[in-house]
Amino acid sequence: MRKGKIGIGVDCGSAFCKGALYQDGQIVSLIVYPTGWNIRATGERIVKALRGIAPLSLCLLPIVATGYGRDKILAQKTITEITCHARGAEFLRPGVRSVIDIGGQDYKVIAMEDGRATTFQMNDKCAAGTGRFLELVLGRLELDLDSLDALLAKGQTVTLNSTCVVFAESEIVGLLAQGTTREAILGGVVASMTAKIAGQAARVTIAEPAVLTGGLSQSREIAAALTRALGITVSTVENGLYAGAIGAAIMAAEIY
Amino acid sequence: MPVQANELPAIFESFGDARKAGFLKMKALKDEGVGVVGTFCVYTPLEVFMAGGLVPVGLCSTSDETIAEAEKTLPRNLCPLIKASYGFAVTDKCPYMYFSDLVVGETTCDGKKKMYELLGRIKDVHVLNLPQNQNGASRLMWKEEIKKLAEKVEGRFGVKISEGDLKEAIKIKNQERALLKEFYELSKLTPPPMTGLQQLQVLFGAQFKFDMPAKLSELRKTIDDIKKSYEEGNRPVPIEAKRIVITGCPIGGATEKVVKAIEESGGVVVAFENCTGAKQFDRRVNEESDPYEALTDHYLNVGCSVMTPDQNRLELLGRLCKEFKADGVVEMVLQACHTYAIETFQIREFLNDKGVPFISLETDYSAGDFGQLKTRAGAFIETL
Ligand code: SF4
Ligand code: SF4
Repeated sequence: MRKGKIGIGVDCGSAFCKGALYQDGQIVSLIVYPTGWNIRATGERIVKALRGIAPLSLCLLPIVATGYGRDKILAQKTITEITCHARGAEFLRPGVRSVIDIGGQDYKVIAMEDGRATTFQMNDKCAAGTGRFLELVLGRLELDLDSLDALLAKGQTVTLNSTCVVFAESEIVGLLAQGTTREAILGGVVASMTAKIAGQAARVTIAEPAVLTGGLSQSREIAAALTRALGITVSTVENGLYAGAIGAAIMAAEIY
Repeated sequence: MPVQANELPAIFESFGDARKAGFLKMKALKDEGVGVVGTFCVYTPLEVFMAGGLVPVGLCSTSDETIAEAEKTLPRNLCPLIKASYGFAVTDKCPYMYFSDLVVGETTCDGKKKMYELLGRIKDVHVLNLPQNQNGASRLMWKEEIKKLAEKVEGRFGVKISEGDLKEAIKIKNQERALLKEFYELSKLTPPPMTGLQQLQVLFGAQFKFDMPAKLSELRKTIDDIKKSYEEGNRPVPIEAKRIVITGCPIGGATEKVVKAIEESGGVVVAFENCTGAKQFDRRVNEESDPYEALTDHYLNVGCSVMTPDQNRLELLGRLCKEFKADGVVEMVLQACHTYAIETFQIREFLNDKGVPFISLETDYSAGDFGQLKTRAGAFIETL
């Protein structure tokens, strides 16, 4: 890592827009806003906030945008979220070999070597296995994300037959009517998500250490469920939500 | 840096417009009383029609315009190429389908095979019974099928197809094959003298030019113009663009989006293994031997996933990777195309052994997944 370098990374996902300011080998600041309907405006808010924190003397502050809304952000360069997540994960957990990212509308499994992505797999158009699925179910069960780990820790589960999100939702309605607990339904949903992700992961060579990034990166229980499904230890990582933005910021700093 | 697609527009324009411009030319031909045969597949021996003085035209549809109409009859979970082709026939929206006096199908994949039964209610359809492998017994059967096709054409159009006519047609078609091959092989240069989109325009457009001698001289001129422009120092593609070979289902029209996704992400498509490209023009028909024998060998050996096993596709793909110095291979699989989707496994394995990076992208004829394609193609290119 070269010294005296500074850069901004913006990772505009379908649910959240994340920003990172990186300087001299360190993360100076991290921000997150809900993406909302106006991606461009949200991206600009992030850039403005990070510029405010950066040292004033720097007029050249390179920006790299990533995420599905990357083309809407005014930036020196756009780089795909695969490359950015890989770089960010390497920063957060040096020597990492696999990244499992669960995003709002997609998930990805990235195999890495020497700090760079080598191969990857993503979900197809379907929402099974994505954060959107979990979000829907939590809403349906009137639970919020913070309670997720406590409920999953009870180890209850139920088998869901439908992999399609729409069908799974009606199956859940049926289970509730039969008196199945919310804990068991959540356990079933997470098992179905991780099985779906494991199916894609089988097409790339994954190895340890493996980390979980994205909105669920703090959840020990999701990491544990992935560990069971993938057969390798998947760990949580601090600031995993910002992995894409951090990777983008590091690559922005490399521009000049 | 994105590849610039508009540096040599004039050279490619006439091919880009060929499909549309061909409508009127075809109408004029029909008015003169020329017979028209619509075809779908690279296994169909076009020389038979040419020898009978007829004009063959490709009907493989490449737009999603009529899919909704087709889904009134066909299942939704079917390859878009089949749905679109059928849709254009029932809605009368494809002038080429409309002008076709005879439509020739083949028993390639299950979806197409069964669709032709329904198409037969609207058009005069002849289905070639294509064998599923390339061994000796299949060869005999395929030769019989080509002979039967010639008889069908003779009866339908009241023409006589002699061996001499066939030999002549083979010679002419070979000239077109040679020119198109010479054309796409220009992209062996580093950097290539054209983008993949431009290359595709010519490969795809050439099938809609019906005046053979004019087409041959236009292709000659196109090749010479591109060479000249390159020699003068024009470089439409930056040298650092990653060189990509495309393989998989037929590409063109709506699925040009795959080429765009690659070329907007720092890659350049140097070769198409698909039947729009090398699969069709790489080899020539033997001009010396008995024409039925020669056509049998040539067409039966097309390397497509409908064959089991499909060794010839691997052979061609491996050769293209080497000759075009590919940095990576992108496969396009149309949704619900089982034969290609399954063969992805063998292709990945084959390329892994050769150390050539590979990604397979699934898509359909809609425009909605362009962002997803771009992320996948972009990330793939970033890893090269
Ligand atoms: S992909 Fe195979 S079946 Fe389809 S048109 Fe080409 S050769 Fe025929
Ligand atoms: S793309 Fe596949 S499913 Fe579609 S017509 Fe060709 S072989 Fe059949």
